[in-house]
Amino acid sequence: MNKFLRTLIPFDIAKGLSITGKHFCKVFFTANRRKVPFHIVSEYPEVVAKLQPRYRGRLTLLKDEQGEIKCVCCLACEKICPTSVITIEKGKKEGRKMPYPVRYDFEMERCIFCEFCVESCGFDSIILNHQFELASYNREDLSIGMEGLGQNMFEPSPVGKFSVADD
Amino acid sequence: MPTPTLLQSIAITLIQCVLVVLFVFVVVPLTVFAERKVLGYLQQRLGSTRVASGHIGVTGWMNRGMWKWGRIPVLSYWRGIPGLVADVLKLILKEDIIPAKADKFVFFIAPAISMVSAVVVFAAISFVPGTFFVFPSWFPGLAGLPVAGGIADINVGLLWILGVASVGVYGIVLAGWASNSKYPLLGGLRSAAQMVSYEVPLAISLLAPVVLTGSLNFSEMAQRMATGLSAWGLVPQVLGFLIYLTCGFAETNRLPFDMPEAENELVAGFHTEYSGMKFGFFYLAEYINMTVVSALAAGFFLGGSWLLPFGLQGLVNHLLPADAWLAGPHAIFFVAKIVFLLFTYIWVRGTIPRYRYDQVMSVAWKYLIPLALVNLLIAAFVRCAV
Repeated sequence: MNKFLRTLIPFDIAKGLSITGKHFCKVFFTANRRKVPFHIVSEYPEVVAKLQPRYRGRLTLLKDEQGEIKCVCCLACEKICPTSVITIEKGKKEGRKMPYPVRYDFEMERCIFCEFCVESCGFDSIILNHQFELASYNREDLSIGMEGLGQNMFEPSPVGKFSVADD
Repeated sequence: MPTPTLLQSIAITLIQCVLVVLFVFVVVPLTVFAERKVLGYLQQRLGSTRVASGHIGVTGWMNRGMWKWGRIPVLSYWRGIPGLVADVLKLILKEDIIPAKADKFVFFIAPAISMVSAVVVFAAISFVPGTFFVFPSWFPGLAGLPVAGGIADINVGLLWILGVASVGVYGIVLAGWASNSKYPLLGGLRSAAQMVSYEVPLAISLLAPVVLTGSLNFSEMAQRMATGLSAWGLVPQVLGFLIYLTCGFAETNRLPFDMPEAENELVAGFHTEYSGMKFGFFYLAEYINMTVVSALAAGFFLGGSWLLPFGLQGLVNHLLPADAWLAGPHAIFFVAKIVFLLFTYIWVRGTIPRYRYDQVMSVAWKYLIPLALVNLLIAAFVRCAV
C-alpha cells in the first residue's frame, strides 16, 4: 500500500524538479552579473571570475614603503621548493644591513603553485598574486628574473588579448 | 455590429489563419532556442551565447554587438538568437538524401502527415472566447467586423482535436517503415505501441472536462472549466491536469518518454534516414505538437484565457467588480500559460531520465488508465452532486 501510494503520488518527480529548478534560478539570476559576489557560471574572458583570497597565482616579490626589496636571502623558499624553481644569489648593498638578493630567478614552467615558499618565508617578502592567465608562446617568457620590462618578479605578467570584450 | 457577407467572412477566416500560423511559427523557433538556453541553465551552462566563434568578419561583428547589448541584463538571455537563422538555413540547404531501397512515396509523405496533423489542430483551439478584436472603421472592406478568438470554434472541437492529433502517429510509423532500415523500424514500432497506449489515458483524462462542462466546444469548455465550477471541481482538475500532462509528454515523444528516438539505443529512431527539410518537418512537428498539448492543457485545466488556474477564477470572480480587467478573458493569459507549459516541457526534460520500455508501458496501462478512470468518476460525482 505504501509503495503503491509512493508510486502514485509523484513526490520524487517533484523533488527532482525542485532541485533542477533551484539550479536554474541560481544560474539564471547570477550568470555574467559583475556585481554578484560569487559566480556559479560566467563567460570567462569577458567576465573575469571573482577569486577567493587564498587563490594561488604567480609568485611575486614584495617591496616595502621605501621601495626596498623585503627579501633578505634566507633561502628558505629555495630550500623548501619541491621542484626547485627558485634560484637566489646573495649580495650586499650600500646602506643596508641585511643581505640583498642580486638575482632572484623564478622558472614558472616547472612551478606547481603549492605556496610552500610563501608559507616558509619569515619576512612576508613574497606572495602568490591572483594571476592565472600565464600561458605564453615562448619558453623564455616563463623564466622570470628581477630585470626585464613587464616580465619581472615585481609586476604581474602581461596578458594577451583574447576576447571580444577587450577592444 | 454588421453581419459579414460571405466574401468578408472568408477574408476574416484567412486573416485568422495567418495570425495562428504566425503565432505557431513564432513560438516554435523560440521554443527551440529556449530548449538550448533553459536546458543549459538547468545543467549550469549558459546555452548558446554567440554565433560561430572568434571576433573577425560578420559573425565577429555580431558577437561583439551581442556582447555589448548583453550588458543589459534582460537582453543577455537573448544573445545567440541569430543562431536560429543558421539552423533554418542548414535545414533548407542541406542535401536531401533518399535511401535507395526506401519506399519513395511513403518516405516523402510521412513528414507531411506529421506536420499537417500537428498544425491543423490549431483550427479548433480558440485563444479567447468571443471576439478577439474588432476591425477599426478605417479598415478597407472589413470595417467594424469582429474577429473571433479561434479559426473554427466547432461544436465537436475536442473530437476534432483528438482525431487529428492521433493521425500524427501515422507520420512516425510510416517514416519508420518506409526508411527500410532497422533502427527507424524499431523506433516506428515502439512509437506505435507507445502512442496508442497513451492515447487511452489522454482521452479519458480529457473526458473529465467534457463531463464537468457538458460540452465538446473548446471555448465553451474552457469558459466553464475556468469560471463555472464549484470548489469541488478543483479535485478532478488538478488530478486530470497531472494525468493529461504525463500523457501529453508521451504523445509528443518528449523525454522522459522519447522511446521512438532514444538516441543511445536507436541512433535517432524513426527519423534516422531523414535529412534536409524532411527532417526539418519532423522537427517542426514535434515542437508544434508540444504547443498543441500545452494549449489543450492551458485551455482545459489551467483556466484558459482567465488568470487563475484550476477553476479558481470562478471562485474568486464574485469578489471582483464585474468589469475588472483581471476578471475577464484575455488572449495574453492563454499565451502565457502555453509558454509556461513549454518551459515545463524543457524543465522535465532536464530533470527526469528516460524510462525503460516496459516501464513506459506499465505506467500507461497499470497506473494512468485506472487513475484516469477514477478521475472521470470523481468528475461525474462532482457534476451530479454539485
